[in-house]
Formats: sequence, C-alpha cells, structure tokens
Amino acid sequence: MESGVFHTDYRTDIGLRRVPAERVRLGLFMGALLVFPFLASPYWLNLANQIAIATIGALGLNILVGYTGQVSLGQGAFMAVGAYTSALLTLRLGLPWGVSIVAACFATAAVGVFFGLPSLRLKGLYLAISTLAAQEIVEWVVTHWTALTGGVEAVVVPAPRLFGQRLNTDFGFYWLGIILAGGTALFTANLFRSRIGRSFVAVRDQDIAASVIGVNVFGTKLLAFATSSFFVGLAGALTAYYRNIISWERFTFETSILYLAMIIVGGLGTIRGSLFGAALITLLPAMIGTVGRELQGSAPAVAALLPSVQQAVFGIVIILFLVFEPEGLSKLWRNVKDYFYVWPFAYRRGEGR
Amino acid sequence: MRSSRSALTCIVAGCLVTVLALAACGGSEERAEDEILIAAIFDLTGPTADVGIDYADAVRGHVDWLNAQGGVRGRPVRLIYQDYGYQVDRAEQLYTQFVQEGALIFMGWGTGDTEALRLRITDDRIPFSSASLSHVLGDAHESPYNFLVATSYSDQFRIVLRWIAEDHRANGGEGDAQVAFMHNASPFGLSPWAQGGEDYAREIGVDVTPYEMPRGATDYTAEFSRIGQSGATYVVFQNTSAPAAVALRNARGLGIDATFVCLNWCANALLWRLAEDAAEGVVGAIPWAPLTDDVAGIRDIRGYLESRDEDYAGKTNAYTQGWWTMAVFVEGIRRALDAGEALTGENIKRALETIDGLDTGGAGPPLTFTPSDHRGSKGLRLFRAEDGRWTPMTDVLTAPSWGPDAP
Repeated sequence: MESGVFHTDYRTDIGLRRVPAERVRLGLFMGALLVFPFLASPYWLNLANQIAIATIGALGLNILVGYTGQVSLGQGAFMAVGAYTSALLTLRLGLPWGVSIVAACFATAAVGVFFGLPSLRLKGLYLAISTLAAQEIVEWVVTHWTALTGGVEAVVVPAPRLFGQRLNTDFGFYWLGIILAGGTALFTANLFRSRIGRSFVAVRDQDIAASVIGVNVFGTKLLAFATSSFFVGLAGALTAYYRNIISWERFTFETSILYLAMIIVGGLGTIRGSLFGAALITLLPAMIGTVGRELQGSAPAVAALLPSVQQAVFGIVIILFLVFEPEGLSKLWRNVKDYFYVWPFAYRRGEGR
Repeated sequence: MRSSRSALTCIVAGCLVTVLALAACGGSEERAEDEILIAAIFDLTGPTADVGIDYADAVRGHVDWLNAQGGVRGRPVRLIYQDYGYQVDRAEQLYTQFVQEGALIFMGWGTGDTEALRLRITDDRIPFSSASLSHVLGDAHESPYNFLVATSYSDQFRIVLRWIAEDHRANGGEGDAQVAFMHNASPFGLSPWAQGGEDYAREIGVDVTPYEMPRGATDYTAEFSRIGQSGATYVVFQNTSAPAAVALRNARGLGIDATFVCLNWCANALLWRLAEDAAEGVVGAIPWAPLTDDVAGIRDIRGYLESRDEDYAGKTNAYTQGWWTMAVFVEGIRRALDAGEALTGENIKRALETIDGLDTGGAGPPLTFTPSDHRGSKGLRLFRAEDGRWTPMTDVLTAPSWGPDAP
C-alpha cells in the first residue's frame, strides 16, 4: 500500500492540483458556489458580488505587488480607468457591455504601462510614490475633464442585459462575477507556471540576478503592469455595471490602500490569499456592523461609542492577523491543512526537521 | 514559543468565528405585528460626521419622541440604522440588508450614496430622503422616490446670489458683484453651481468664480490669495462646518475684506465653536432654523431634549433638519394610514405627494409635494452670525423661478 501521494511522471507532478484532496476541496467549493445564490438572501448575494469584484481586483494587484514586487498605490486610479472607460463607451458610443468591458481592460492595461514607465529607474518606496502620483493624476482628470467624464457628477451606466434579462441584479450578476473571478484565478495560477510568470517572480526576488540569467527586467516589469492593470480594469468595469452608477468617490486613494490591505492580509503572491483577503476586508466591516446593531438594543450605554469601536476593531483585527501570521490568511490556511494532515497524531509536517 | 503562538492563533480564529456566528444569527429577532420599520444610514465616523452626528441624533430622537406619544395612529415605529462612514459600498450593503428586513422608508445621507441608490429605490419603490439637497434629486420624473425636505442647494445659492446683487447695489458697489464660490470637491460641493447657479448668476449680472476646497486641507492661503487678487467682495461656502471654519480663520488671518456666506451645511452652531470670532458677521442660508430660534416648530424639539437633560444650545440646525425630515415622512405614513391604504412604499409616496403647505411651525417654510415636484420648499430665511448665535436677518425669501423650473 502506498503511504502517500507519489507522482511518477512529470505531468502529474506539475499539475495545478496534485493531490486528490485538493481536487475534492475544489469540487466542494465549486458546488457551494453553485448552490449559494439559491439559498442566500439578497444581502449575502450583494456581499458575494462585492467579494467577487474585489477578488479580481486583488488578483490583479497581487500580480504586480505580490508576484513581481512592484508596490502600487494606484489601484483606485486603475479601477477608475476601467470603470469610466467601459461606462462611457456604452453611454457615448452605444457599444454592447461585453465589448466595452474588454475594451476597458485593454485601455487600463495601456494606462498601467504608461504609469509603469518610472519603474525603469525607480524601485520600492520611490516607485510607490510615483504610482501615488498616478492615483492623483487620474483622479484629477476624472473630476476635471467634465466634457468627457461628467466631472464630479455621477455617471449612470445603462444596465447590462443578457438574453433580455437584466444582469445587474444581485442574482444575475453573481454568475458573471464568479465566472470572471474564477477565470482570473485560473489565468493567474497558470501564468505563474509559465516562463513569463517565472520571470515576474525572478524580478521580484532579485532583479540583478534575473537580468544575469537573461530576463529583460524592464520589459518584464511593464508586462506585469499591463497584466495587473488589465484585471484591475476588469474589476473597475464590473463595479460600473454592477452598481449602475459611478462617481469618482468610489476610486480614491482609500480604495488603493484597502486593496493593498487585502493582499497583505490575504497573503502576498498567492491566489488563495487574494480571495481570502478580498473576503475578509469586505465581510469584516459588515459583520462588525451587524454585531454592533445587535448591541444597539441590548446595551444602549455603549451604543453611542459603537461606530468608533467598530472602526477600532477593524484595525485591531488586521494588526492581530499580521502579528500572528505575517504571511497572511493563506499561510493560516496552510497551517490548518498541516495540522489535519496526520490528525489525530501529534507529528506535524515541517517539525522535527 | 511554538505552542503559545498557535494558542494565540486559535484565540484570534475563535474570536473571528464568534463574530461571524453572531453576525449570521443577527436580524432574526421578533417584532411586533403592527410595527412600522424605517431604515437609516448615518455618517458618524466619516468626513461629514461633524454635522452627521446631530442629524443622526435628531432622527433617532424624533422616533423616540413619536413612540412616547403613541406612534403613528397607534402603531409604533422602529428605526433600524447603522453608521456607514460616508462609504458608498457600505451604504449599498446596508440598503439591501434593511430593505430585505422590511423597511418601508429609507433615510440616506450624502450626495454620493443618494446618487448610487437612486435607481434601486425606484425599482424597489422605497421613498427616500437624504440630507443631500441636490437640485436634480427633486426632479420627480428622474427620481420618483426621492424627496427633498428642504430648499435645494441650487435654490439656496440663487437666493444668496440675488441677495448679493441687491446688497452690492445697496452698498453703492459699482459694476457686477464679484463672488468667490468655495466648494467641497465633490458632487455635493459643485451641485449648486452646476445645477442652475452658474446660469442664474450670468442672468442677473453677478460674476462668480468657483474655487475648489481640497478634502482635508488645513490651509487655504493659495485660494485666498487668488480671491484677494480677483477683487471678490463676497465669498460663498458650500461645505460642512469644519472646513468652512478653517477657511474663515484663514481668511481673517490674511485680512480678506469680504462678506462671507454659508449655505446650509456650514451655517450652524458648530461653525461658531470651530471658528469662534472669525464667524462673526457671516451670513447663513438656513432652511431649517437653529434650535436657539424660539418658534413653535422648534419648541417640540427643545422640550424633547430638555426631557432628556440635553443641552439644545450646542446642537446644530442639522438637528432641526433631521427631526423635521423624519416628521415629514411620518406625516406621509399617517396620511397613507388615514386613507385606509396598505402600508407600502408606493402608497406612502402617493400620500407624501398630497402634502400641501404642511406647517412646520416656523422651523422651516411650509412644505408642498406634488406628483411632478418633489422639492418640498423653495424658500428660506437668511441669518447673520452675531455674538455667538444665528439671528434672522430677513423674512422667508423665495427662490427665483428659473430656466427649466419656470412656469
């Protein structure tokens, strides 16, 4: 009898899911995703859709920050480019929503490449500041180029339709959301099994070494900016179509920070982490709020303090996560798996070595 | 080390699970059969919390006061609410949650969230009021479920512009009056200018230049040096009290010689607290009277606050606005019940549209809604800041009818 999973050929060894348990888990997860919308209330569907969009955005950001090591504070700006491009293409030129979403992704990729140009000379914090400039510039353009974007006024986006059905209902959008989020995750997973993806990682780990082994460092960085922005633009475009109405206030510097928080809390450079982070950062305030509402009735004395307490709790939870598991939720998940690997026996993988 | 670490991890995970479990169980509590559910979102922690807290207290206070008096036609009202920190995403989540729980009416807050929810409330048929008084929201054709329970920003601005033109002539000013319009960098800030103000100013010969007030700025020297050079003798603020107070102190420090005017959201008691002497002489366009104003519509509020040992003098007129916004919706519910109709959003909307000249006891002008016009009032009084309080300086001035609104 085999006492483990042994791969006897390369094909299974480099497979995406190498162990039967992984495939079972994925199957269960997908099953749950399929059943969820039929059981969940609109509120939970609303949250799920927000998580789906955030996952796409976080995956995009993770490609750049987690995998390629280029810190970006321009997430909000790139989402704005995606959202406004798709909205305006449909509104002004009457393009179908599918076409304008794709166009928006490419437009965002182009803008991303443009603002990635400083990465030729700048690294680390300096690059971060130059992407902050991207955030400010895009925000300024959106709020001041009134003829194109409508300025600070909100833009009403025509509802997307599929087979005569409105797609921006909580239920309808759910399917679009999970298919695109799943597709993005699959693409990202495969990207980092390819030569291009590996060169991203090489640049992150040590750019000089990468250039020595023949990686075109600048080209790779730009490609990372393009790939990342493509998905960030997708997240922006989806926001526009889901919410029906967009204004610049959705895509501020705060958005950029929130997305960075997602991938840091979730786990830099992991796909699972992007999902976990997106889910946590979306759900946590909602959950804390609900608990707060329960307390409103039972403990009126603290009711007045609740809003501030809620914000403090949000901060504390994030700090605790980082203190106890700096590698994020993704690592926490791995710890749980390791723990149950030989459960109920005490021996754990990685110990005793 | 290893074991203590995993123990802590367990604690953190345990806490999270508890929070999630508590949250999942939430909202399942029993409620009385005849209870009327009203939902609200407030800004208690976000950038507009300076005035948002009073507005929230007032809405809660009114419901409390109403229930103490036996509710609406004997039916108690329950308010479900949550702080949303001025975040549009959060507002949308809460809206979905509250409507699902059976809320008949939704009280919003900012221009951003009101815009974001505008289409959904129409689909869901939920009468909606917010503290945002953007002129377009009163267009019953575009936004059939939005109700403006005070003078729109554009009307406020037009009243102020007309007053400026008269004041400028009365003081022997030559040529067109020069006005600097300093506004919050948001739809809220730009609304009075973009929605009619610009055109009206041109029509009556007032020269207005807009200046943006960047969010979170602590200094407006650059703006005021430009204003000083432009020769503007009037400065109109469309912002909340905190930034307006910063700007006022700045302007006084720089010796800018101009008449300052505050629209709705900065003409309040908070401006006095923050700007102190710099607020002296500021003109305020105030649709809902401050609590220091001794009129019938304010006395109920004072009585309620006194019964709770709270001091009314420190509260802003956001309190009056919140109180009366709630009161108007309650009136809609009362009318729907009196007509013997089932309580649905659609019926409440129709009932609200029968309100004709609702007396607000001097707290604000009488309110009228019709199926084609959801701008409840077109007039307001101008106040002047004197010795730590706002004193009325005019009677109710009615906004000039203009452009698309003209009969």
